[in-house]
Amino acid sequence: MKKDKKTAAPKPGLSWYKRMDFSKKTALWGVIFLLPWLIGLIFFFLRPMVNTLWYSLCNMQMVNGKFTGTFNGIENFKWALGVNADFARMLTSALTNMLKEVPFQIFLALFIAMLLNGEYKGRGFFRAVFVIPIILATGVATFKLREASLAEAVTESVMDMKWLEELVINSGIPEELTSLLVSYVNDIFTVVTTCGVQVLLFLSGLQAISPTLYEVAKMEGCTQFETFCKITLPMVSPTILVCLVYSIAESFAHSKVPYGDSTIELASYIRTITFNGTSEYFGYGAAMSFIYFAVTLVTIGVICGIVSKGVFYYD
Amino acid sequence: MTKLSRKERMQKAQEMAGISFWVDLRKGRLTKYAVQKQVKHILSMTFRYVILICLSFVVITPIWNLCRDAFTAPAMLGDKSSSWIPQQVSSIFMDVARSKSLMDYWPSLAYSLFNTVILTFLQVLTTGLAAYSFARLKFKGSGILFFFVVLTIVVPSDSIMLAQYAAFRNFDIFGLIGLINGTGVGLNLIDKPVSQYILAGTGMGVKSGLYIYFMRQGVRGLPISVEEAAHVDGAGFLRTFFSIVVPSMSGSILTVSVLSFLWNYTDTYYTGLLNRNVHQLAYQYAQLQGNVRWGIDSAAKANKDWISIINASDPFVQTAVISACALLVVAPLLIMYAFVQKRFVQGAARSGLGGD
Repeated sequence: MKKDKKTAAPKPGLSWYKRMDFSKKTALWGVIFLLPWLIGLIFFFLRPMVNTLWYSLCNMQMVNGKFTGTFNGIENFKWALGVNADFARMLTSALTNMLKEVPFQIFLALFIAMLLNGEYKGRGFFRAVFVIPIILATGVATFKLREASLAEAVTESVMDMKWLEELVINSGIPEELTSLLVSYVNDIFTVVTTCGVQVLLFLSGLQAISPTLYEVAKMEGCTQFETFCKITLPMVSPTILVCLVYSIAESFAHSKVPYGDSTIELASYIRTITFNGTSEYFGYGAAMSFIYFAVTLVTIGVICGIVSKGVFYYD
Repeated sequence: MTKLSRKERMQKAQEMAGISFWVDLRKGRLTKYAVQKQVKHILSMTFRYVILICLSFVVITPIWNLCRDAFTAPAMLGDKSSSWIPQQVSSIFMDVARSKSLMDYWPSLAYSLFNTVILTFLQVLTTGLAAYSFARLKFKGSGILFFFVVLTIVVPSDSIMLAQYAAFRNFDIFGLIGLINGTGVGLNLIDKPVSQYILAGTGMGVKSGLYIYFMRQGVRGLPISVEEAAHVDGAGFLRTFFSIVVPSMSGSILTVSVLSFLWNYTDTYYTGLLNRNVHQLAYQYAQLQGNVRWGIDSAAKANKDWISIINASDPFVQTAVISACALLVVAPLLIMYAFVQKRFVQGAARSGLGGD
């Protein structure tokens, strides 16, 4: 065949682009599409992260609206973990809170999602109700709502639970287990309001499972429980991993740790220390922030490393 | 293999199917099996409804409590008979909460909605572009960059708070701004809405990482052949994205937009750090906790009708006013949610947010 030379006369300015092959163009546009995010990542995420590390190694001063620091080694870390008696205790308490809360949260979210899934009357209504917690889950709305319900519900439920607790303990079940269960029951409002996103994730995970799998299981005579173990659980296991990452991060950010007589969120404790007026505390705050985020990362890494061994990918 | 008789085969089949031996599959009428199935169905439905209704109660009660507190008449506050439904309804606390000395509601609402819409738009645009790039326009290193997306979800934003504050206190990119204005010091963008817009527009706003993840899943669920066809027909990448991909993933875009709107509206962290504006409703509400008494006091002084009814030092009155404020903050969200909820939940459920 003869080459048609008339069509091969692109505009001079764009000729280099026209001559590129498709995979290179894809890569180029990939970078262009990513550019705004990339700028944000570098300037408002990575640089602050590196800066935080630098601050934590410095004695900070604010001069003329500019932070300046003189290097003083690991003094700030020593202060955070040694001199400051509260912080280490708070960290462990946040960690135990997380270990206690997250499995229950995941379990409850999966359970709710499974109940919401399927065909039944009033499905639209219930689905709408269980997404409401997402609206109320951040910041403002919750703390009032939580207080309101805690003030009444907890006093009532604690009173109501007492006899049940005694009954269970008397029946020979270990006390630790009982108190754990009772604390779950008392926390149910908190847990239900914080698992909105997870319910949504699980719901879409469940919807993605092909109905033919269930049909086959039914034909082969699986019981409901077997179907759950052999089909539902493996098929949503990637979602479980995602939820786990999200839940752990959220749990750390919002877990209430004891501070004096009341409780405080770990992050807001760090904030109060950092911005208490004296500029030398900037360094301490940075050190605590760094420890806080290192602990979060390590925890998520370890737990997800373990869990991802059991995750099943269909394709 | 030994040959089984018809009866034996039947029995084996029934055993394998988990049906107990006394069921006769050949009978068309109501067998015990059918009854058993029906009973099972009724039991599981009852179980489902009982649990769902109980949990819905847990979700709805606090909202109901807010409404109850906010609409109870001052005389009936703390009255046992009004613990579920107020005996006397009045909107006086709503009026107090709306007044200038507390929320200054209508101007604040307008400002908050305006601000939130801009933030949502910027955030969805940036994260959508990034998500498409991660899902389809792979280049060397995009896998590693996606790891950073996970990192932005995982790293608590509080932990880099101070450095982020410093970045906006002295806003500068490669020292360019300092060079231009000749002082060597960047711009102070603290307490200006621009700082929030910049964060949202560069994909580092409230939970941006999560949205990138969501939308990447949404794009992955689309058939790639449509995009390939578009490329073959000569559409560029921008055109493919805006006229093919965006319309077909409208479900996940809607979900992300709603989430982004909700979370930007209720966000107090970035507002408190970068844009402490008294007209931002959520931030204003967060500030209220400490000085509600003073606010009620000055509101009562400003209005003659209230001064005799409302006693600012009464804790019941304070609770009622705070409830009214909370309700006013949340009300626009609930109204908006009522309109979009069906499409929102469907969009979320069908977009395949789960996956890997």
